[in-house]
Amino acid sequence: MQDVILTPSDFVALLNQTLEFAYPAVSIEGELSNFRISKNRWVYFDLKDEQASVPFFGTVYMLPGPLQDGLMVRAVGSPRLHARFGFTLNLQSLVPVGEGALKKAAELLRAKLTAEGLFAPERKRFLPPIPERVGLVTAANSAAYADFVKILNERWSGVEVLLSDVYVQGDQAPGQIVEAIEMLNRLSNLPEVIVITRGGGSAEDLAAFNDERVVRAVAASRVPTLVAVGHEVDFSLAELAADVRASTPSNAAQLLVPDRAAELAHLDAKRQTLKRDLASAYDGAVMELVNRRDALVSQITNVLNAQSQQLQSLRRLIKLFDPQAALKRGYAIIRKGSKIVSSIDQVKIGDHLNLQVQDGTISAKALTKSPKLRAESSRL
Amino acid sequence: MAKKPTGSKTYAQLSAELSEIMDWFEGGEVDLDEALAKYQQAAKLIEQMEKHLKTAANKIKKLNA
Repeated sequence: MQDVILTPSDFVALLNQTLEFAYPAVSIEGELSNFRISKNRWVYFDLKDEQASVPFFGTVYMLPGPLQDGLMVRAVGSPRLHARFGFTLNLQSLVPVGEGALKKAAELLRAKLTAEGLFAPERKRFLPPIPERVGLVTAANSAAYADFVKILNERWSGVEVLLSDVYVQGDQAPGQIVEAIEMLNRLSNLPEVIVITRGGGSAEDLAAFNDERVVRAVAASRVPTLVAVGHEVDFSLAELAADVRASTPSNAAQLLVPDRAAELAHLDAKRQTLKRDLASAYDGAVMELVNRRDALVSQITNVLNAQSQQLQSLRRLIKLFDPQAALKRGYAIIRKGSKIVSSIDQVKIGDHLNLQVQDGTISAKALTKSPKLRAESSRL
Repeated sequence: MAKKPTGSKTYAQLSAELSEIMDWFEGGEVDLDEALAKYQQAAKLIEQMEKHLKTAANKIKKLNA
C-alpha cells in the first residue's frame, strides 16, 4: 500500500470509503465534554473516558434537550475524516444514559421549557366529552395498546381510532413519535384528541417522553393531547406539556370516553324527567283553564251582584213612590169622578168627591175651599 | 368514516339536541301542543342514543406510522 502514492484528497476519500464500509454507524457511550452550540445550529462535543476522547459534530435538531458537560450519554455517529478539520463522528442521535444523566437532562429541559411557558395551565384545553375520532400514538404490539383498546371497547361505542404504530423507546422513538403527532395534525379530517401512551419502564425506556422534540411536538399540537405514561412517581415532560394527563393507558381510555352503563342510566333518568315534565305541562294547561274559568265566573258574579244591588236600590226607590205607603201614613187620594184631584181649582163647591184612604173610600161633598198661603208655607 | 347506526347524526349531536329539548321544558310556561311534540321528539332521540350505545362498535384504523 505504501507503494501507491496518494494525494491528501485521495487519502481522505479512500479512508472515508473504508470507514463507511467498515463502520457505517457506531454507538459510543461516554462522558459529555466540550459541549458547545455554534450559531444556534451546529453542535460540537467530545465523548470521553479515562483514556480517550472522541469528537462529534452535528446539528441542534438531533439534540434530545439541553445538555451539559459531565453527563453520560450515548451517541450514534458515522466516523469520517474531514478534508480540512480532521477526524470527527457525524452525529445521528444522542441520548443521555443512566438514571442520573437522564434525570439531570430532564431537569435542564424542564427548566428551559417552564421558562418558555410550555407547561402553563392556561394553555391546557378541554377534551371533547364524546369524541368520535381520536388519534392513537403507541406501540401496537404493546400491553399499553391492548389495555387502552380493551377499556375503550368496554366503555364506549362508535369511536374511530386512527392508530400510528411507533417505537416508544430507543433511539428511533423520539423521531417517530414527533412524526406521528405532526402527521395526525395534518389530516384533512382532524381527530378530536390525540392519545400518546406507553406502559411503565425504566428511566431509559421512558427517555423519549422527556425528549425536547417530543415535548415540543405535544405542546404544539393543534389537536388536544392526552398523554399517559405508566409511571408512578415523576411525570414525564410530555405529560406536563399535554392538555390532559392520565396515569396509565387504561386511565387514558377512562378519561377519553364516557361510561356506557352510566350513560344508559342517565338516558333512563332523562326519560323519567321528560315524563314528569310532560305531566307538569298537562297539569299546567289544566290549571290554566281552571283559572280562566274561575276568573270568568268571578267576573260574571261581580256583574250579577252589581245588577242585583242596582235592582235593590230601584226597588227601594219605587217603594217611596208607592201610593199605598202614602195612604198608610194618613194621606188620602181625592177623586172627582174618575179623575184625581190635585188642585183646588178642579173642585167646585158642592161637588161629590171620593176620598180613598188605606182601608176604603169615603164619599164627601166639597163645602168650602181656600188656597194655601205662601207666607204660611214658608214659615213652616 | 365510522359506522353510525344513528343515521347521519353523531351521538354527541343527538345528545345536544336532547339537552336543548330538556332545557325547553325547564323554561317555565310551556304550550301543551308543543310539549307533546317535543316529548315525542325527545323519546325518539333517547331511543336512537340507546341503540347507538348498544350496537355501535369502535373501529381501529392503522395509519402508516
